[in-house]
Amino acid sequence: MTVTVEPEEFRFVAFDNALIRKVGESLVTTLGIDRPVHVIVDESTPLGRIRAEIADTVTVTVESGSFEDSKRPRQQSEIATTINLGRILLRVSDRLHGGFADAPPDDDLSLAQMAAWETYCAGRLSRLELRINRQRWLYNFRNRHGFSDAADAAFDQLWAADSLTWPQLRSISSSASADLAAAS
Amino acid sequence: MADPYKPRAPFAPWDRRQLPGLFDVEESARRVGNYKWAEMKLFETLGGWVATVPELDVKMRLGAHCYHHAWHAELWHKRLPELREMNPERLTQPANEAMVRFVQVLAEPEAAEHTIEKLVGVYRVFIPHFIAAYTFHRNNTSEITDAPTIRSLDFALRDEFEDWRDGEMMLQSLIETPEEVDRAAAHQARLEKIMLEAGGIAGPGTIGGV
Amino acid sequence: MRKFFPVEELARDSRFTQINMRQAEADPRTAMVGPNAAKRAKVNRLTPARPDASEAARNLMHGIFVGEIQALEGAGRTCHDFELPDPKNGGATDTVPFALKLDMARQAWDESRHVEISVKLGDWMGSEIGQFAENTVLFEAACSTDPVMRLAGVNRALEGLAIDVFTTMKEFGEIAGDPYLEFCEDWMLADEVTHVKMGSDWLRKVTENDPERRAKALEFQSIVDRLFSFGGARSESEDSPIGLARRFRELAGFTTDEVDDIADVSLAALEARKAFSAAAMAEKP
Repeated sequence: MTVTVEPEEFRFVAFDNALIRKVGESLVTTLGIDRPVHVIVDESTPLGRIRAEIADTVTVTVESGSFEDSKRPRQQSEIATTINLGRILLRVSDRLHGGFADAPPDDDLSLAQMAAWETYCAGRLSRLELRINRQRWLYNFRNRHGFSDAADAAFDQLWAADSLTWPQLRSISSSASADLAAAS
Repeated sequence: MADPYKPRAPFAPWDRRQLPGLFDVEESARRVGNYKWAEMKLFETLGGWVATVPELDVKMRLGAHCYHHAWHAELWHKRLPELREMNPERLTQPANEAMVRFVQVLAEPEAAEHTIEKLVGVYRVFIPHFIAAYTFHRNNTSEITDAPTIRSLDFALRDEFEDWRDGEMMLQSLIETPEEVDRAAAHQARLEKIMLEAGGIAGPGTIGGV
Repeated sequence: MRKFFPVEELARDSRFTQINMRQAEADPRTAMVGPNAAKRAKVNRLTPARPDASEAARNLMHGIFVGEIQALEGAGRTCHDFELPDPKNGGATDTVPFALKLDMARQAWDESRHVEISVKLGDWMGSEIGQFAENTVLFEAACSTDPVMRLAGVNRALEGLAIDVFTTMKEFGEIAGDPYLEFCEDWMLADEVTHVKMGSDWLRKVTENDPERRAKALEFQSIVDRLFSFGGARSESEDSPIGLARRFRELAGFTTDEVDDIADVSLAALEARKAFSAAAMAEKP
């Protein structure tokens, strides 16, 4: 499947269109995405949010911080590009053929649900031998589900999982969140 | 309950402190002035080195130790007027010219690659000499008349021992090759020779024998 | 060892990458203007409600970590760089009183504890030492050859910024229910209030008979405050991730007028940043 990237030339960051395309193609093959992917990089902001819309083509919109080398501002990091594009394409893959067809659009997910799904993605990426900092994702999960043993147990379950469905993921997240609500 | 009006010995049987001591007021004050000068030079040097040392653990320890020695300098600064020196600056002096040279050579290393030399100067030479000088003073001054100095010496000695151990362990973890052993030994010898010339932190007689 | 250590030579291990203020200023990107700014959240303040809260908090924590290293280095250098006044020339401007040196040594210890705390918190939040670029602007403010300028730049501007940052992070920890973050930031905040007060007291004392020197120092502080508000990172506007901690600043000895001035300077920096970014984006490629 083809991967296209815009813009062709970057003005505010020193990113490489061809490198993003190459990383994207490799991920699309690994994850079995069955349609073209178009990546739009918003280089006007250093933030790092990333979102995808699925139609005949998958359109991924990325804020430049997602692909940036955090040690060298405005320079591209191949590792960050791989991990962050990998995260969003895993979610796309889940929606297309991973039992997540019923999941609401990204904008309608709660912060806790998004954190749970991100954990599920990061855990799987770590088993693809990408260098993933587990503690980073644990911290993100705790921020959304509470700093408790119950939240940590839910995190472990999501991290280790390989074939969850949306109802299962939602249930794990809401049970950990319910614990948080009870505690507060 | 025992009769509170029954006469008791002024010194309990377990209190073995002795009145005589080696130092009169002037001598104790002179030594304290030398200590203050030396502690000041040490904390200034440690503070200056923080920015020059790339090893993060060493950088943080130097920051903490910088304060320990500043606090010792403050203790001595406060003790001087109690020893009849109303102008503490007058006695805040190096013991002699060799001590000035010692501090100059101690503070010479600056490059990021010279952490071993920096630590050797402080933890294998200067601080062991502080321990020696303070221990001698503590064990030879009058336990009754000079008790305030002893109290400060005890506080300072506790820090010196702890800091020496920290520094020595940092050094052992940094020295990885026979060449680095030689570097450490050479710098130590260079400084020890100057300290020998100085006769110790308080000059000849710092640990007796004069 | 030299007196006055240049910022370019700050010693770091191989994990660190440093950038200076010029490089940071050259980056026109911002979350506040641009083609997609309207689609983003209206509030930039760092709270757990932000979708990127964890990332932003980790990034800020790393900024605190390197800031504490530079504050440690700055306090240490002030112990070393200045002599005690010569009784024959008591008014020399390149000397500092003994008690001021003692305060700076105490501050060095405090900052070294803050580095330790920041390393532990970084581990807790899942960041790595040197993961983000280190902006050396904080040490630059500690490079002045006039000790009074250093007090203004480091103890009042830099440590004042630390009060704002720690207050924001403490609130973040409280809201998120993060027991370590809130606990640690509260302790560090107590130290920073002490450091700012130390700076305010010494500035007043050292310039007691020299109003011109005091005015110069306060002007320098204002310049540094503007630098530290770079990019609108700190101001009372909700466009800024970090707020201005008025109550703690007043505890630390800032007058209401002084805090108002910092608020104005910060807001001006925020607007200047927006204008710069808008102009850069309007330019034809």
